[in-house]
Amino acid sequence: MAEVVRALRLYVLLQRASARGAMQYRLNTAIGVLSGAIWQGTGFAFIWVVMHTFPSLAGWGLAEIAFLYGMRLTAHALAMIPMMSVHDIHWVVRNGEFDRFLLRPLNPLVQLMGNRMGLAQFGDLLVGVALLAVASQNAQVDWSLSLVAFCALAIVGGALIEAAFFLALCSLSLRMIDTFALRVFLDDVFSKFGSYPMKIFGGVTEWLLTYVLPVAFVAYIPSSVVLGKLDTPWALAAPLLGVILVWPAYLIWRRQLTHYQSVGH
Amino acid sequence: MTRVGFLFALAYRSSIVMTCVTLVAQVFLLRMIWTAVYGSRAEAAGLTLEALLAYLTLANLQSFATQTLVSRVIHHRIRSGTVFFDLARPIGYLRQMAAFQAGNTAGSLLLLAPVVPVVLLVGSITAPVNGPGYVVTLVLGYVIAVQLALLISLLGFWMLEIGAVSLLYQLVSQFFAGTMVPLAFFPGFLGTLAEVLPFKYMGYVPAAIYVGHISDISGPLLVELAWVAGLWALLALAWSRTHRRVVIQGG
Repeated sequence: MAEVVRALRLYVLLQRASARGAMQYRLNTAIGVLSGAIWQGTGFAFIWVVMHTFPSLAGWGLAEIAFLYGMRLTAHALAMIPMMSVHDIHWVVRNGEFDRFLLRPLNPLVQLMGNRMGLAQFGDLLVGVALLAVASQNAQVDWSLSLVAFCALAIVGGALIEAAFFLALCSLSLRMIDTFALRVFLDDVFSKFGSYPMKIFGGVTEWLLTYVLPVAFVAYIPSSVVLGKLDTPWALAAPLLGVILVWPAYLIWRRQLTHYQSVGH
Repeated sequence: MTRVGFLFALAYRSSIVMTCVTLVAQVFLLRMIWTAVYGSRAEAAGLTLEALLAYLTLANLQSFATQTLVSRVIHHRIRSGTVFFDLARPIGYLRQMAAFQAGNTAGSLLLLAPVVPVVLLVGSITAPVNGPGYVVTLVLGYVIAVQLALLISLLGFWMLEIGAVSLLYQLVSQFFAGTMVPLAFFPGFLGTLAEVLPFKYMGYVPAAIYVGHISDISGPLLVELAWVAGLWALLALAWSRTHRRVVIQGG
């Protein structure tokens, strides 16, 4: 436990340093955040334009889709703000920089995460939270304290699901298997298919996105519960899946780490 | 220069292949969404579901084909100083860059070719209502796309950092090209804006002509030619001013 607390404290210190670094280039930081927000904004603008003509998408109204979209986006931002710099792992390994991480007395994954912050992801967070705030008022939801708590847990759980798959793919770079393109594709699947009611995909795709790559658990199932569209008790356990998945992902990381061979600088 | 662009596309084939995979996923997603919203409706905004799906498939293929890389390359060469070699060649700079982009597009299309049947299968296609009209408007739309990309690139000679500007341009142009929603569905002010902007010639106009949503092509064709001519003049003017600036900096 003391180990974890120490790692957390050092992580915060590293991120504070990287935030100070980012603030040296204020304009670039602002543009980074803004471009993230605009990117997601145009994604939602598509839904808004479509639903201007068609009021219902598979039984979901605009406010309900906005809620789903916001939930997915917030979970995504929470996953990627701390994990963004792990994206660079292939370069860090290739340049031999990773050896430095191994010499320092702190978990190398935490060091890698502390390298820099995801800036565009703050833009995602902005849009996600804004959508959630507006949609939660406009959708027909009977808010109670437990429902809000469920929502918060589901968002964290969703973030963990995405982070788990991301980490597992990243760790392969420790053995010089470049998974960058695969990670981009994964991100694409999570964002494209995770932001819509799964029902519209039907059949095999829906099954795959629920049980093989559990995109449905990030936002679709939790928001169905919140919006009163799904009434099975096991759905309440959806936020747990993230916790369950992160553990094997971390084990994969550890396993790849023991096989790490330096490029030799 | 055209050959350089062509080889450039082949050298970065893994990223282009990845783009092809996302293209297939995108077309699939759009098909599912639109099929769901149409439900049992036969048509909306003058488009049947069948025509709409063919439209979306084409528009997405087009957005891949009219994608431009040239501003990123120019930006990189300005920053690294290698732009000097481009300027030293005895051929006009813009002409070189346009040739590079044309070659690059040809290379990307070569890589895209095997994916086209998959995209058509995942999406949907109908026989063209006006084939020649489609080709002519699309080619002109491509010329406009390259001209606009060159115009954006010239900004790079004035500003140091255009990464964000070109990303923004990409997003806005894609949205207003009507790649995901035909312009006919854009409400009110957004619709007027999309009608006025030139981006619709890269996506909406050719695809709508293909499926027969636009039947009279003389109007769009004239406006397109006017855009090409106008951008041509603007580029020549912008370059003559930019060129002078580069010379001053270099001296």
